[in-house]
Amino acid sequence: MSGNSELFPCGRISRRNFLFQAGGGFLGTALGGLWAQEGEIKDAILGPHFEPKAKSVIFLFMCGGVSHIDTFDPKGNDHAGKLIDAVGFGDNQASMRRPVIPCLRSFTRYGKSGIPVSDWFPHVGGVIDDIAVVRSMWCHESNHFPAVIETCTGHRGRAFDHPTFGSWISYALGSVNRNLPTFVNIGRPSSPVQLTGGYLGASVAATPFQAGEIPIPNLHPPKGSSSAERERQAQVLHEMNQEFRQRYAVNSDIQARAKAYKLAASMQLSAPEAVDFSREPDHVKELYGIDRPETAEFGKQLLLARRLAERGVRFIQICNSGGGNGGWDAHGDMKTHEPLCRATDKPIAGLIRDLKLRGMLDETMVVWTSEFGRTPWSQNTTGRDHNPKGYSCWLAGGGIKGGIVHGATDEVGYKAVESPHYYSDLHATILRQLGIDHTKMEIPSLGTVSRLVENGGPIKEIIS
Amino acid sequence: MPKKFPEVKLTRSHARPGRTALAVASAVAIAAWPHAVISKEPMWSLVPVGHPAVPEGDADVANPIDRFLEVERAAKGLKAVAPADKLTLLRRVHLDLTGLPPSPADQEAFLADTSPDAYQRVVDRLLASDQHGVRYARHWLDVLRYADSDEKLGPGSGIYLWRDWVINALRDDLPYDQFVQLQLTGRRVSERTQMSDTGFRSRKEPRPGDIFALGFLARGAGGDPQDLAINAVDTVSTAFLGLTVGCAKCHDHKFDPVSQVDYYSMKALFDPLVVKKVNLASAQDLVAAGKAMAETQKKRAPFEKELAAFLDPYKTKLREERIQMLPPEVQAVIRKSEKERTVQEQKIADDYFPILRIDNDKIEAAMTAEVIGAYRDLKKRVEEAGRGSSTPELAAFNTVDVDRSREQLKSYVLTSGDPTRPELQNEVKPGWPFAGSEYDFRDGRIEAFADWLTDPSNPFFARVAVNRLWQWHFGLGLQRTPSDFGLQSEGPSHPALLDWLASEFVRQGYSMKQMNRLMVTSQAYRMSSEVPPESMASQHIDPDDTWLWHFRLQRLEAEPIWDSIHAAAGSLDLQVGGRSFDPGAGAQGRRGGDDTAKAGASTKRRAAYMIRGYSPSRDVTPAFLQSFDVDDGRVPCPVRTQTVTAPQSLFLMNSPEIEAATTELAERLKSESGGDMNQAIDLAYRLTIARPPSPAESARAAAYLENNPERLKQLSWLIFNLDEFTYVR
Repeated sequence: MSGNSELFPCGRISRRNFLFQAGGGFLGTALGGLWAQEGEIKDAILGPHFEPKAKSVIFLFMCGGVSHIDTFDPKGNDHAGKLIDAVGFGDNQASMRRPVIPCLRSFTRYGKSGIPVSDWFPHVGGVIDDIAVVRSMWCHESNHFPAVIETCTGHRGRAFDHPTFGSWISYALGSVNRNLPTFVNIGRPSSPVQLTGGYLGASVAATPFQAGEIPIPNLHPPKGSSSAERERQAQVLHEMNQEFRQRYAVNSDIQARAKAYKLAASMQLSAPEAVDFSREPDHVKELYGIDRPETAEFGKQLLLARRLAERGVRFIQICNSGGGNGGWDAHGDMKTHEPLCRATDKPIAGLIRDLKLRGMLDETMVVWTSEFGRTPWSQNTTGRDHNPKGYSCWLAGGGIKGGIVHGATDEVGYKAVESPHYYSDLHATILRQLGIDHTKMEIPSLGTVSRLVENGGPIKEIIS
Repeated sequence: MPKKFPEVKLTRSHARPGRTALAVASAVAIAAWPHAVISKEPMWSLVPVGHPAVPEGDADVANPIDRFLEVERAAKGLKAVAPADKLTLLRRVHLDLTGLPPSPADQEAFLADTSPDAYQRVVDRLLASDQHGVRYARHWLDVLRYADSDEKLGPGSGIYLWRDWVINALRDDLPYDQFVQLQLTGRRVSERTQMSDTGFRSRKEPRPGDIFALGFLARGAGGDPQDLAINAVDTVSTAFLGLTVGCAKCHDHKFDPVSQVDYYSMKALFDPLVVKKVNLASAQDLVAAGKAMAETQKKRAPFEKELAAFLDPYKTKLREERIQMLPPEVQAVIRKSEKERTVQEQKIADDYFPILRIDNDKIEAAMTAEVIGAYRDLKKRVEEAGRGSSTPELAAFNTVDVDRSREQLKSYVLTSGDPTRPELQNEVKPGWPFAGSEYDFRDGRIEAFADWLTDPSNPFFARVAVNRLWQWHFGLGLQRTPSDFGLQSEGPSHPALLDWLASEFVRQGYSMKQMNRLMVTSQAYRMSSEVPPESMASQHIDPDDTWLWHFRLQRLEAEPIWDSIHAAAGSLDLQVGGRSFDPGAGAQGRRGGDDTAKAGASTKRRAAYMIRGYSPSRDVTPAFLQSFDVDDGRVPCPVRTQTVTAPQSLFLMNSPEIEAATTELAERLKSESGGDMNQAIDLAYRLTIARPPSPAESARAAAYLENNPERLKQLSWLIFNLDEFTYVR
């Protein structure tokens, strides 16, 4: 046994909490995120533990596993064609010898920092001085579904037990803007696990938004309904509910109903405004590539993300090319990355530039990651296999140092060897910048305690 | 004959090859007495089910459940609250047993019936109804991970026929052991083999209709041949054994005595299974369909040709643009015809197929508005000529069958659970944990397992089942983790009661309806859900109601909310069985696979039939189900969360369903009250929350109505949005 699963025992320690709470007893904790500020929930975490550097996070998740070797972690081709030992996925020891395939990308050193970025991300190269690249991420799971669970919840094991990262933030910090949800997801995820509130409950789970006229279902009242009548109804409804609510006053589910109605009504007013791009000038749309067909979709999603961040949404998760294994799952040929890079490169750079121009980058963190990287070798194709042992992510803004590279993989890009960081360190880093002590973000229940980060801490070297 | 379940003694059936002597020794130690190494406590769920004596108690407390509960309450100083009033109880038991609210006539009748067995008769009537099968099937189907579609489950699988089988099985009170046996083997235990006069033993044809039980196993089929077996183990172990062995897929289970070898041994039971498509159409239908297909193709041909010619320049242009994006060597391959390509080149071309595929919406993007108009007209003409190229829809069903050649193949531990990476040095033999050392596979591997599983001496089987039934009646199981009876679970709040129920379940021939009856006729079930001021002491001692001193207020699940809305509107279609429907089908066109409703099909059926599932490219599970906590069915769901969120409120405030239902309910109130507003208000409450309004509620509603029948629609909206509408008291 590799022994590392002691730390992550199938996520089972907290499962009991989950089922207990999910069965109806979660009343106290489930509503933490939305209502924590009012101090109504005994166990909720009340705001930041120290001065936050970032207010919002725009979390870009590339579904399927981006090849670090072809993007932000150049290795040269000295080893191309050589057979190497490709040992040990997960907890099992299965050895195989595989040929390293050549990397066909050319790398250019960008900016003052001179950090090399591949020809697939020229625009991101242009803003590299605002970015900290971490080249030494790792996790355990080598298949998509388990790896997505592990990287988005910090726990291995069964789906839907543990809350996803954004739900924890929602739980810990609550909302800045009471008219919008705290945690929004844009784009199709690989797995619904990326949206789940787990044992924190669905009130902190992601609210899916679409870039378009109707960001969430049933947002608009039916045609012909009058807003004056609706207001009167809201008043009467409150009165009609009074007796029932008094009878079940001990039940915080019932208390939450009133709040849910309030948020629903507020969203009716504020969400359409948030998704309305009509007042965005053309030069901003161009920055995001909305004027070009290949970048329009992702560009719109990122512009929506910026608008939501502006309006105080805490955690905006954007899942790119999700569904199934994810579009970045380049087994057959690395070239399948090319259209995906092309579709995302300009919008990402545009987002960072736009945030900077608006003076928002200091308090808005942009994170780019996927569930794992890709191997130096192929499975007898011109693509690359899954590689959880060493891969790259990058962060920008929100108090992160720009223009630095941290950590390294071995000479072929297989294992993280210099300053390796388990994925939880990325969570802890983001939490740190949001003002949350990851050791204090926990849920006490039934004598056990659950955390997002069970073991790990912030990547101090990239924090300015 | 089923083998006797061995007592707590545990032996590993297979030592894993390649382990060091020390590792084997410790594995044996763990296997022999897992808790000795890992935990000081014995694993309670492995102890055989006892038959505890019913505690002494008040003579008029007839139901043993209440005797068991009272012992614990008394020990904790808790006092049970008063019984719920009649109408509250009636709505509770209706929604519980059938998922439907009681009609005003049901309410009248129950109030009028003052005989001592009035409630019993209501329970009997509800248990006998078809709709009870629909309601309880929905519970089971969550646990058995029903879905209409997912990444792998292709259209035409007829998966809904498995759902209908479950509905019928529950309606007919198929004994639970048979319920499980049939879904695992497709045969009743006594009907597996037959002898010919000459003494030749052969497999018996299953009973007609029983084949649909195997949808349970077929549901797990995926792109990889291993998926079926992996999904079978994951679901069978959680659903029927209450063991979450899924973790052992990737590494030895740290807390429960289920090893990786055990996991893959169980998988080996199912490895020989393959999916088999069974045609359900009649011979005439098949012939007719072939003929019809040829005819429509002929009719469509000229239009299709025209359309192709029309699109050709756009497709060529778009394709050329995409080819330009590719590296030169790939371009060269793509530009070759299929015949010119080498095998490797064809592989490259195939890999690029998804990138070069030109979808219709992309084509429109390259057209001017005028051209789009012409294009759509042309498409319409093709459509009007008939659905030609796709196979006519013929009833079919995906079942499973044992593939004799696969039976000869060896099974291995899979690296990290990845089907494509078998560990060839780690072979496993078919088997299961806790089984003793000998297996009798003469009737088949799965049959042997099913016999062990459903044997009364299996300590998990009945306990897990009665606990689920308890959970569905009371909102929370006695064991709160219904699919986890392992060492890491809390253990049941009332172990004696759980054992008594399990042994009673076996004694009563695994009749689920008997257990339902026993539970819902207990005083515990009939208690009020309110905590009155005089019970504040109890509230302080046991705020979570672990010791059942009051009934738990429960938020209705998605399906009864949907059904209640349409029942009040008078538009609910109670047809039992049939294909799933997609509530968005009318508005958004066809979204589902072949098994889902077509646009124009009734979208007012019970929500148990509402499409659910997952697809990488489209939303399958309707937003309504998602917002009310329904999972997509990719993994078993033992407990649905009960959340309170803004998207739920938005549904009840703004959805087209509520808009339509308020209109219909208002019409109904108008016509059934004969224009008398007070009567309309009374009826509005009875149709929705199954009780008359209090005088204060009536007065408030009357003030809101201003004696204007046109405002009944707004009143209907208010009532659908009442907290009480969404909760079971």
